[in-house]
Amino acid sequence: MTQQANSGLAPRDARPKEQVVVFAIGEQSFVISASSVQEIRSTDSLGGNVVELDRPVLPKVRHIVERDARSYYVVSGYEHFHLPLSRPTSVLILRNVPVAVLVDRIEEMAEMRVLLGLPRSFSGEERTWYRGVTVLGHKVVPVAEPRGFLTAEELRRLEEENPGLLQTGVHPAGTSRRRQGERA
Amino acid sequence: MNAEKNHLVPTFVVFQVGTRRIALNRETVAELIASPQLFSFPHTTPIIAGVVLRRGRILPVLDLGPAVSGAPSQSTRFFLVVERTISGAIEKCAIPVQGACELVSGIMFAHKDAADFAIGRLDLNGEQIDVLDLEKAIAMGVAYEDDKVPAIEVLA
Repeated sequence: MTQQANSGLAPRDARPKEQVVVFAIGEQSFVISASSVQEIRSTDSLGGNVVELDRPVLPKVRHIVERDARSYYVVSGYEHFHLPLSRPTSVLILRNVPVAVLVDRIEEMAEMRVLLGLPRSFSGEERTWYRGVTVLGHKVVPVAEPRGFLTAEELRRLEEENPGLLQTGVHPAGTSRRRQGERA
Repeated sequence: MNAEKNHLVPTFVVFQVGTRRIALNRETVAELIASPQLFSFPHTTPIIAGVVLRRGRILPVLDLGPAVSGAPSQSTRFFLVVERTISGAIEKCAIPVQGACELVSGIMFAHKDAADFAIGRLDLNGEQIDVLDLEKAIAMGVAYEDDKVPAIEVLA
């Protein structure tokens, strides 16, 4: 019987796995695919690399951060998910999208074995925010969609109002790039 | 279980949402489940209180309290699993219920005083019970949530 039980587990172990980063904003946990995260930094370590947007067209995006000759829009995680005000201490710099997400803390690295689609009853912004949900340690946790932090339309608006800002080293006329430490 | 007396008479599941007893056509009810843990995460869809995990599937929990009894439902251990059709696909959803559920048979009739979310009414030994139109109740719940938003903004 034990052998049967063990062999029964084999196919389950063979299911595709995905490494994920578990992060929290307030009391809420989320996961995001590790492959979509380029770097995790503490907010303290960003220091002078943060530049304030002159024209913040989205309440959740007020800064850009420069890392390794690239720039990223800094998205406030709690504002993105409409959560109560929180104290971000970490920033997830994403890969393939010009987005860095402020989160309260990194909880762990984990292995995601199942990705369940969001039920159709969900019809709001969450359809953009999440790839679906997963189960980690008997808890249902939403799986963040990296491209959902800033939609194509939001990126277009940011670029339109702050032209050329994401191009590193370019300081277009009329766009002051005030660094965080330079505030009066 | 009056329902078993006559198979030709339609059957309904009678359950309680808040302080109000209502009925649903038996055909839309899949099962009654007890004590699944309710998980919540950020979303913007009105009336969804969270999700429960059932046999490896995620079931959205629809709180009918605002539409049916005028207030969000109290937390509960019991959920009625119902089927609704969304974009041509059937989806199972969980409805938090208070108190006992019972299976009854009866003839539904139109009634001028039936609630807006009702498609008709049942007379169960003198007790008048509205039969729920699930989609109508959901739409009313959405409207209730939408109405709340300006009030909160004004207070803020």
